[in-house]
Amino acid sequence: MTDAIVAPAIKATGLKVHFQTAAGLVRAVDGVDLTVAQGAFHGIVGESGCGKTTLARALIGLQPVTDGQVNILGRDRAEWARADRKGFARAVQFIFQDPLGSMSRRQTVGQTLEEPLMIHGTGDGKARRARVAELLDLVALPDTVLDRLPRSLSGGQRQRVSIARALALSPQVLICDEPLSALDVSVRAQIVNLFARLQAQLGLTIVIVAHDLAIVREVCSAVTVMYLGRVAEEGAARRFFADPAHPYSQALLSAVPSPDPRIEATRPRILLEGDPPSPRNPPPGCRFSTRCPVAEPRCREMEPALRAVPHGGAAACHLADASIHAMI
Amino acid sequence: MKNWPWAILAPAILFVLIGIFSPWIMTHDPAAQDYGALLQGPSAANWLGTDYLGRDLFSRIVGGARTSLIAMVVVLVAALAMGVVIGSFAGYVGGKTELVLISVIDIALALPSLVIALALMGVFSGENFTWMSDYWKMIVALTLAWWANYARMSRAVVVAELQQPYIEAARVMGASHIWIFTRHILPHVLGLVVVYASADAGALVLAIATLSFLGLGVAPPTPEWGQMLVDGMSYIEENPALVIIPGLALTAVVVSFNLLGEAFALQKVPRAVRGRFLARKRAARAAEETARNEVQA
Repeated sequence: MTDAIVAPAIKATGLKVHFQTAAGLVRAVDGVDLTVAQGAFHGIVGESGCGKTTLARALIGLQPVTDGQVNILGRDRAEWARADRKGFARAVQFIFQDPLGSMSRRQTVGQTLEEPLMIHGTGDGKARRARVAELLDLVALPDTVLDRLPRSLSGGQRQRVSIARALALSPQVLICDEPLSALDVSVRAQIVNLFARLQAQLGLTIVIVAHDLAIVREVCSAVTVMYLGRVAEEGAARRFFADPAHPYSQALLSAVPSPDPRIEATRPRILLEGDPPSPRNPPPGCRFSTRCPVAEPRCREMEPALRAVPHGGAAACHLADASIHAMI
Repeated sequence: MKNWPWAILAPAILFVLIGIFSPWIMTHDPAAQDYGALLQGPSAANWLGTDYLGRDLFSRIVGGARTSLIAMVVVLVAALAMGVVIGSFAGYVGGKTELVLISVIDIALALPSLVIALALMGVFSGENFTWMSDYWKMIVALTLAWWANYARMSRAVVVAELQQPYIEAARVMGASHIWIFTRHILPHVLGLVVVYASADAGALVLAIATLSFLGLGVAPPTPEWGQMLVDGMSYIEENPALVIIPGLALTAVVVSFNLLGEAFALQKVPRAVRGRFLARKRAARAAEETARNEVQA
């Protein structure tokens, strides 16, 4: 029976990434459990410095993990990458925040796209060029860009090239570290649509780190909210956007402007005071308690575990049920 | 660079051309002695005159260019290879290996190259090294004296490139360390180091002449400018050309190579770009130039 259950695309348990800095130990990711179902479009959101990029990098092994385990497609990530680096690369790919920096400045687009195929010894020169043409088609780039250097491309084109390169090896899982934040707002929508189309077309599992909730709402099927290295809330996107359970999620969502001016004028907003505490020295109890508008004394003493909330998902809040009504 | 005196590069270019084609340019055997014509002035038979053994000065100058050119090229290539390999290895591997190698590089850099070369020539004069000719002893000594600077530069480039995100991207694509090094890092290393090597060519020509001047380099029958200077000094009153001509040749070549190096430095160290890209750039620049000239006219 258990054989019939499909292994999740990504399953992280008790993941910790700590950095030793001159100023002390930084707990960038501090005990995160994450499950990404196969075929999901999973968004990871949170403020700057909450550890979402570190988490994404740890998932693919770009960041040494202090503690915990990452399973990808049912296999232990570290062991898989050690035993079969190329096989792992064919299964999981990563898209970087800065498309320009992630490409060699002396390689043309054609060479950049051909490189993964050459590393993996796929086909002869002719077959590789055919595949490169196919990839350009997939990300809707004209083949006139082939001979250009990344520097001479526009931001949107660069990110398209880096997406095409990640897809060259036909991975099953794509992890994207803020792939949109380097882009112009007008281009973002195009790239978001590209991601959505690719996911449907290729049956990819996509994990996307973002801080723009409007985009997450547009495309994601599941959401994980991080705060100070921990998961604050997780669950299906539909439930999350309709009925956020964690006060932090509520505050985040209330900061997303509405395109309708009538709603925009009257919608309630929750303003959080101050900055998130330093990950060097997290507060006792609930990590959000220092800024939480509905914090109670027990919040400052006891750290809440992730608990199931109505209509699916989980939130790390003592008041997960009550807070919804307390806030809005 | 617009008003840059390009003519100053002529001696360097001439030196290379003469060095390559010297057997066809020489009018006499540079080692052939003619006791009937000692210390002669310029004539139709001996264009620049003859030295104290009646050897043709012109042919010896031409032959000396070849001697220096070969030594210079061999030393540069060998020192470059050694420096790039050691420096890149240090930068790529990092950790304690890097620390040890950097210490070796720093010690080598702390001593003037010529002093190291002289010390090594002293060592090589021992009986364990009789199998090497003086010429090759000089080449080995200069190589061992010259590699450290390239090693230091290579290491710096490697360390800087390794921090670029595209190296991580290559890792994610499953590239091996060898792939990353040869495909992504080595071109950057060579792009920089080769330019500096071209600037070093002048200093090397001078070092070769210096060693020969001190009697440590090329053995007598082979023509070499430094040695010709020493030999000519004793006869400076009879035929000053014996000193002046090798001296002028040496000065012109060294100055020319140094300015070549400076030209590269002023260009902010060109990237080793692909031919097509370079051609396109050149075309764009030419078009710009014509447009400007038209405006002026």
